[in-house]
Amino acid sequence: MNADFQTIAALVVVALAATWLVVRAVQLRRKPGCGGGCACPTEKLKR
Amino acid sequence: MSLPAHITAGPGAAPSRMPVYALVGNPNCGKSTLFNALTGLKQKVGNYPGVTVEKKIGTAYTQHGQPITVIDLPGAYSLAARSPDEAVTRDVLLGRRADTPQPDRILCIVDATNLERNLYLVHQILDLGRPVILVLNMMDLAARAGLRVRVTRLEHEFGIPVIPCEAVNGKGLIELKLAMSRAELPLSRHAWAIPAPIAPAVTELQASLIANDRKAPLIARAEALLLLTDQDSVRVAGSAPLGARTTEILRQWQSRWEEEGTDWAGTLVNSRYEVIGKICESVVTPADHTGPTASDRIDAFATHPVWGWLTLGAVMMLLFLSIFTLAEYPMNFIDRRIAALADAVKSAMPEGDLRDLITDGAIAGVGGVIVFLPQILILFFFIGLLESTGYMARAAFIMDRLMSRVGLNGKSFIPLLSSYACAIPGIMATRTIEDPKDRLVTILVAPLMSCSARLPVYLLMIAALVPGDRVPLLTKVGIMIFMYALGTFGAFAFAWLFKRTLLKGAPPVMIMELPPYRMPAIKDVAQHMLERAWLFLRRAGTVILGISIVLWFLAAYPKAPEGVTPTQQLAQSFAGRAGHALEPIIAPLGFDWQIGIGLITSFAAREVFVSTMSVVFNAEAKDDDTTPLRQAMLEAKWPDGRPLFTPLVCFTLMIFYVFAMQCMSTIAVVRRETNSWKWPLFQTAYMTGTAWVLSLLFYQAGRALGL
Repeated sequence: MNADFQTIAALVVVALAATWLVVRAVQLRRKPGCGGGCACPTEKLKR
Repeated sequence: MSLPAHITAGPGAAPSRMPVYALVGNPNCGKSTLFNALTGLKQKVGNYPGVTVEKKIGTAYTQHGQPITVIDLPGAYSLAARSPDEAVTRDVLLGRRADTPQPDRILCIVDATNLERNLYLVHQILDLGRPVILVLNMMDLAARAGLRVRVTRLEHEFGIPVIPCEAVNGKGLIELKLAMSRAELPLSRHAWAIPAPIAPAVTELQASLIANDRKAPLIARAEALLLLTDQDSVRVAGSAPLGARTTEILRQWQSRWEEEGTDWAGTLVNSRYEVIGKICESVVTPADHTGPTASDRIDAFATHPVWGWLTLGAVMMLLFLSIFTLAEYPMNFIDRRIAALADAVKSAMPEGDLRDLITDGAIAGVGGVIVFLPQILILFFFIGLLESTGYMARAAFIMDRLMSRVGLNGKSFIPLLSSYACAIPGIMATRTIEDPKDRLVTILVAPLMSCSARLPVYLLMIAALVPGDRVPLLTKVGIMIFMYALGTFGAFAFAWLFKRTLLKGAPPVMIMELPPYRMPAIKDVAQHMLERAWLFLRRAGTVILGISIVLWFLAAYPKAPEGVTPTQQLAQSFAGRAGHALEPIIAPLGFDWQIGIGLITSFAAREVFVSTMSVVFNAEAKDDDTTPLRQAMLEAKWPDGRPLFTPLVCFTLMIFYVFAMQCMSTIAVVRRETNSWKWPLFQTAYMTGTAWVLSLLFYQAGRALGL
């Protein structure tokens, strides 16, 4: 695994993580709340 | 006995689709415990009122495996709802909620130790003309208190099935499921004569509600009775405003009664209580002895003006002592495993960005937070024990003496208490507060209570307080209690300020029921604790992992020319530039640009500060071995060689985190609960502004004193 390959793979992972965070933030804006990810039981309370 | 005029035959038959049961009752009578027992779900339960603030839907199965939908509703003393959570119960029962099916049948759960008060709601529900099963819960506590409840007699009085039950022990569940699975349930035969002065008004309002407001006959009658119980017709109507004609009829009757001097609202309430009183006389044999119960004897101490505070202090001390002592070994174990994992990856992979991303980003970021799992578990175990035994309500009672002085509603305590775990359920729990201004004040100050996300930040700072030495245990406990007390008294101070400026209102009155002490339900406590552990780990494996990966990129790019030191690389990275941009604002607080990076990222969530420090200081590490975060922080220096994390800076950082509003999720929930961006923005501004000012004052005062 050479350094260039590692750089490309790392950047792909970063891009995926950033995209996921942005999508999650947009979803939270559409459906305000903690989204169940804040270690609180809100997701259940909303049911 | 003939059937009351409003009840016609028919609704007792089982519906063709899956029957929908609503589970209703007074607060803290065991609804959620019964709901969990019926559905197998794990909704939060606690021995204090106001745990459930929103409806919850689950599926139960009869003895024959037929599914039944069960809706757990927030506790209510009456259908004349006074708070948002009670309004949910009323609206579901009256079929006003578009998102919830109107229940076909109703499970009324009552506390057998306090039948008279609990039957008021049951009496109102019988007016709805739907099949009702009455569940007499806490029969064990009633027996222990010397009360004898004649179940058959009660069944005869109301003409509905009555099931004695101990929901917490699972007793009576089989009988209850058998009753629920009956194809037909009898409608109540209970006849209640509406007092003569009110009866014609009920008839006229019912007719108008049917004709002008398109209500079903039985719902119209129930609403007419509610309108004639509550002085505030707008509140009764809630989301379904009354038509002009019905409003006019109501006003005409009210004017007439006022001229006659008739207490119309009191007449109906008193009449119901009169009927209920007679039923209770024939159904309940009171205890032979009237001396103090075991709960009374404990309360004489636990709610005493002096001993009560000392007890509360001792409980807090025990909690934090446990956090520091019991968690030490599992924390060290996790810490070592994380370091070993990072070292294993480093030795298995050649140098490169992907290896750095895995070790310095993902493992350092997530591991830095996961290491606090044992302490989080201990915190929630203690909270669960205190909730389950009923001590939380006593803590509310003690604190009310202080809270009422600052103008906080007694009902604010439970939301504030919930906020020690997480501000979000705390803010949602404010739905139990009737007065909108009191509710808003509580929402505004709830995030000042130190939530579990602050715990890793406090623990990291306490660990970094004394260079090269271990901080004495009692000092750690003392600092932790101080931080929790600072947030609590800060919340009280701001509540006092808001109640006298922005949100002026009448001084609140504390009405809170002290539930009897119970043995802790260890299964529920353990379940709640494990659930929290799972949520914590899930958060670490999703949001914190994502942020750590992005943060690694921001700390590693753009790449500096060959030969620069890791610190120089970090300084010229995107994250470093952002930290440097913030430095002029935070330098007066003793924070440098590296801490600035943590302050920026922890706007997403407070514990991200810890993972950020892990990523930042791992990025700066020179060798291939993973340095413990505490050690790396203690070695961090200003450019002039001064240590960065001095005790004064650690303390200042903790003070900053006590007050700063750094939680996107909380901001989003406040926006939803207040239906406006004005309040969450105001809240963010006042909290973060206060954090900055107090940190500045503390740091500069410390510097002036030579600390």
